[in-house]
Amino acid sequence: MRASSRLIALIFGATSLLLPQLGFSQDDVTSSGTNCSFQRDPDSFLTQQARSRRDVFERAKSMNVNAAAAAADTGRFAVAATTIPRRNFIDDAIFDKLSRTGVQSAPLATDEEFFRRINLDLTGRLPNAADMRAFVADKNADKRNKVIGDLLYSDAFTDKWTMWFGDLLQNTTNSVLTGRQINGRNAMFGYIQGSVAGWKSISEIAYEAVVMRGNNHDLGTGAAGFAAVTQTPGGPAQDSYDSMLVRTATSFLGQSNYDCLLCHNGRGHLDQLSVWGSSTTRQQAWQMAAFFSRVRYGNYPFPAGTPIAEQQASYYSNSRQVDDVIAGQYDIGVSYFGNRPNRLPLGTTRSITPAYQFTGATPKGNYWRFDFADNMTNDRMFAINFANRLWKAMFNMALADPLDQLDPGRLDPANPPPSPWAMQATHPELLIQLANELKKRDFSLREFLRLIAESSAYQLSSRYSGDWQLSSVPLFARHYTRRLDAEEIHDAISKSTGNFPRIGVNGWANPVNWAMQLPDTVEGGGSAPFLNFFLRGNRETQPRSQQGSIQQQLALMNDGFVNARMHIGQSTTLTAIAKLTDNAQIADEMFLNFLGRFPNAFEKGRAVAALTKANTAALKNTTLEDMAWALINKLDFIYSY
Amino acid sequence: MKNRFGVDWSKVRGTRFWNRPAMHRRMFFKSMATAVGGYMLMPQQPGETIAKAAGRVQGTAKNVIFILMQGAPSHTDTFDLKEGPWTPSFMAPASYGGVRWPQGLMPKLADQMDNIALVRSLRAYATAHGLAQTWVQIGRNPISGLSKIAPHIGSVVSIELGPKSADRTLPPFISLNASNGPGAGYLPPENDPFYVNPNGGALSNTVHGDGSAALDRRYGLMLDLDTELLFDPTAVGSSLSENARFRENARKLMYNPAVTSIFSFDQNVRNSYGNTTFGNACATARNLIKANMGTRFVQISFGSWDHHANIYQPNANLQSMARQFDNGLGQLMADLKADGLLDSTLIVAMGEFGRTVSTLNQTNGRDHHVQQSAFFAGGGIRGRQAIGVTDSIGSSVLEPGWRGDRDIRNEDIEATIYSALGIDWTTIRRDDPFGRGFEYVPSSTVDYVFQPINELFG
Repeated sequence: MRASSRLIALIFGATSLLLPQLGFSQDDVTSSGTNCSFQRDPDSFLTQQARSRRDVFERAKSMNVNAAAAAADTGRFAVAATTIPRRNFIDDAIFDKLSRTGVQSAPLATDEEFFRRINLDLTGRLPNAADMRAFVADKNADKRNKVIGDLLYSDAFTDKWTMWFGDLLQNTTNSVLTGRQINGRNAMFGYIQGSVAGWKSISEIAYEAVVMRGNNHDLGTGAAGFAAVTQTPGGPAQDSYDSMLVRTATSFLGQSNYDCLLCHNGRGHLDQLSVWGSSTTRQQAWQMAAFFSRVRYGNYPFPAGTPIAEQQASYYSNSRQVDDVIAGQYDIGVSYFGNRPNRLPLGTTRSITPAYQFTGATPKGNYWRFDFADNMTNDRMFAINFANRLWKAMFNMALADPLDQLDPGRLDPANPPPSPWAMQATHPELLIQLANELKKRDFSLREFLRLIAESSAYQLSSRYSGDWQLSSVPLFARHYTRRLDAEEIHDAISKSTGNFPRIGVNGWANPVNWAMQLPDTVEGGGSAPFLNFFLRGNRETQPRSQQGSIQQQLALMNDGFVNARMHIGQSTTLTAIAKLTDNAQIADEMFLNFLGRFPNAFEKGRAVAALTKANTAALKNTTLEDMAWALINKLDFIYSY
Repeated sequence: MKNRFGVDWSKVRGTRFWNRPAMHRRMFFKSMATAVGGYMLMPQQPGETIAKAAGRVQGTAKNVIFILMQGAPSHTDTFDLKEGPWTPSFMAPASYGGVRWPQGLMPKLADQMDNIALVRSLRAYATAHGLAQTWVQIGRNPISGLSKIAPHIGSVVSIELGPKSADRTLPPFISLNASNGPGAGYLPPENDPFYVNPNGGALSNTVHGDGSAALDRRYGLMLDLDTELLFDPTAVGSSLSENARFRENARKLMYNPAVTSIFSFDQNVRNSYGNTTFGNACATARNLIKANMGTRFVQISFGSWDHHANIYQPNANLQSMARQFDNGLGQLMADLKADGLLDSTLIVAMGEFGRTVSTLNQTNGRDHHVQQSAFFAGGGIRGRQAIGVTDSIGSSVLEPGWRGDRDIRNEDIEATIYSALGIDWTTIRRDDPFGRGFEYVPSSTVDYVFQPINELFG
C-alpha cells in the first residue's frame, strides 16, 4: 500500500533529519535492481518463443516459393512421415510425432540441396563446383555419411566452430565490464582455435574457461580471458562474483535468469516465465555465485619502478591476472550497494558459502571455482544446454526456446510441470536423449554433430507443398532456412568469384583470407563495413542477427567489396568460365560456383537466353559479369536452405 | 510494500536507512505537507488511472532530432552550470531570464535561448557507459533479455509515424555517425535505424561502380532469374519476401537526385556547421527534415564527453567538444528556424549520465555520476526555462520542478518525445503472437509511473 510506504518514508525521513546528510548516495547507481525488465514486462519474455517460431514460419514460407519453382519437375514435396527412412533415434522422435499428429513430412533433400547445406552448416563455406558435380555423380549409397565425416574433420570446420565458440565465450576486445585488450582477445582466440582444432571436448573447453588461472595475455592461459573480464566496475567484489555466475550459467547451463535472481527472489518476478525460477531464491543464487568468491583479479606484476611508458608498451599492458585464494566467502550485509540491490543480511547470517543449486553439493576443496566447474560439467543442464544449442545451429530452431532461458522445471519428461505449464521443449524426450547421447559421446563436438547431420530429420528438404501452418513449426516437418551469417556471405562472395581479400588483424603478423577466420566481430579491415551490414553483433550486448535491411541490399549491389571481384580480370572463376563455349554448360558453371547448385529449367533457360544474345567476345564477358552480379544479388544467395 | 529494489523495508531492522533513495529536507517537508493534507491515506492509485489522467499528448512536433552525447558530458559545466573556484574563465557564464548558461563555452546556442529549455532534475540509473547509453535509447533497463527485443525510441516513432508520411522514399529512422546500437527490437526490421556516416558526399553504396547503365542491365537480369522466387501462385502467401522489399527500397535510393541532394553539401555549408563530423551530421539532419521524404527521427551520436582527466584544458576536451556542439547545433537551430521547421522539430540532446561535481578529481577531470541534465529545443518547447533545481554543487535534486514531483528519468524523456510527436505514450501494442502486450513506456507496480514532462511545453 502506498499509504504504508509513505508512512515508512516519513519515519525514515524524520530520523534522517537527525543525521548528517551524505553528499550523495550510491543507492541509485544500480542497474539490475531498479526497473527490472522481467518484472516490468514479463510478456515480452513469453513472446520470445512464439516470435522465433513466427520467424521460422515466415522464412520457410518465402523459401517455399523458391522450392516449388526449383524442383517443379520432381513432383511431390510433402509425403507421409512413415515413408522417411529412419537412421537414428532423432528420426524416431521427429517422425513418430509427425505420424501421430497426421502432418506430412517434406521429402528428403536432393543431393544438391544436401551438399550445399552440409557444407554451409559445418564449414560456413559454399561447396566447390567440382566437388558438387562429383558428389551428385557418386553412386555410393553411403556418400552422405562420408561427406559429413570429411567436413567434420576439415580445417574449415575448425574456422566455423571457433567462431561459434568465440560467440559463446564472448571473446571480444570491447568487453563491457573490463576491457579485454587485443593481446588478450588474440590469446583467447588462440586457446579456442587450438581446442577446436585439437578435438578438445565441449566439457573440457567449458571447464577450462571457468577455472583457468594466470595471465589472460599468455597464450597458454588465454582461457583466463573468460573470467578476467567479469571483474565488474562500480561495485564491491560481490558484483564480480555475480557477473561471473551470470556469464557462466548463461553460456554453459542456458540459465540467464540468474541475472534476475541475484537481485531478488524469483517469486513475484519470474512466475510467468519459469517454474524453476519462480521458486528460486536470491539466497540460492548467492550460493551459486559464492563458488566464485575466491577468484581474484590482479594487474600484471611489473617490477617496482618500471616506467609507465614501458608498462604501456609492454605486451602485458592492461592484462589481467586471474587467481584463486583459499579463504573468503560471499559476504552479505555489506553497506556498499554497487550494481545490484543491497545484499541484506539473512537474520544473523552475514556470509554465504557455496551450494550447487541442482544437487546441493558443497565444495570438496579450497579452490571453489574448480568445484563449480566439476559440478557444472556433470550437471544434466550442461548437457541439455549444449544439445539444445547445437540442435539450433543445425536445425535453425531450438528444441527449447529461448536458448538462454532453459527452465529445469519444464524439461524433465518424468516430472512434468503443474498445469497450466507445458513442457518447454518441442520434443521433451528427444532433448533428454540428445543430452544423454552428448555425454555418451564424451561431449565430442564433431561426433554429436555427426549424429544430427546423419539423421533423416536434418536431411529433409526445405521444400514443402503441403498445407503449411504456424502450428506445424514445432514439428520440424521440413528443414528451416537461415540467412547466412555475415562471415559466410562475405566468404561466399570471395569463394564464388575466386578473389580473396587479405584481411589484416590487429596483433597478427599475417592477414587472413576468410572472414570466418577473424578472431572477433570487430575485426575485418577493409571488409569490416560490409560485414557489419550483415549484423555480426558484438558478442556481448548486440547479438548476431539474421535480419535483413536496405543497407544489406545496397551493399550487395554496390559495395566496393563486391564490385572489386565481379569483373573478368578480377575473378579467376569468371576467367575460367569465359573460356567455355557451350552456353548451357556456362549457365551450369555459373550457378554451381555462385549459388552452390545447378539452375532449374526456368533459370537455365533465362541464363542461356542472355548468353545467346551476347554474340561477341566483349559482350559475352559483359554478360558473365552481369550474371555474376545478378547471382550474388539473387534472393537465395544469402540463404542456407 | 516493496520499494523499487524489491525490498520490503518495513520488515527490515537495522538497515542503513540513510542509504535509501535520497530524500532531501525540502522534499521531506513536502511529503509531510501532503501527509498532513491526507493524501497519504488515499489508496494506491492504479498506474493506468494516473496514466490516463496525464494522457494528453502534446502533438506539437512532427520530427525529432536526438543527439546522444556519448561518454556523458559534465552536467555542471553544460546544462546545469554550477560556478565555483573550479570554473575556468572561458566559461563566461551569463543569465538568460532565470537560466544560467556557459555563454563563453556555447555562444551560438546562447543566442537561441528563447527556444531552449533545460531539464536539470534528471537522474540516471546506471553509470556504465554501454549500459546507460542503451538505456537512454530504448527508454528502459537493458539488463536481461528484454534488451534483445526492446525497440529503440526511434523505431517506435518509425512504426507509428512512418506509414503516415506521404513520401516514403527514406527510412523513418536515420542514425548518423554510428554503425550499431539498439535497433527495432521485436518490431519489423523496416523500423531499424538506417546508419549513415555523412561526409557531404552521396549516400554510400547508392552509386554503382560500373555506372547506372550497367546497374539497370544487371538489375533486369537479376529480376529475370528471380522471377520464380518473386511470384509463384502455388506458394503459400505469395507476397514478396522481406529481402525482396528491402532490395526494392534500396533500388529507389540509388541514382535519386532528391536523395543525393540531402546527403551532399558543399564546403560553405560544411564550414557554417563548424567543419566537423558532428557538424556534417547536423547539416544532414537539417536536409533530412527539410526534404520531408519520410524520415521522422534522426539520431546523431556525438562523443566523447568522457572527461576523466584535464577537463578544462584550453581548446581540448570539454572546450573542444562544446565548441563542436555549439557550432553544429547552433547552426542547425538557426537553419531550421529560417526554414520554418524549428517549431515542428523537437531537438533533444543528452548524455547517458552526468559527472562528479564541485572540485575536480586528482587528474583534473570529472568521473561518473548519476545526476545529469538534458537539453530540449524546438518542437513546441517553451524556451528560456529550466525544469528542476539541483543543490549548490549539482549533486542531487532539490526541486523536481514538474508535476511528477520526483527525479526525472530516461523513461520520462521517452514519454515526452512520444507525447510531443502526438504518439500515445501509454500505448500497449498487441501485435505479438500471444497478443499480450508491449508497453511503449514501461510501467511498474512497485516503481514510478513514468510520464511526459508537460512543463516543457506551451
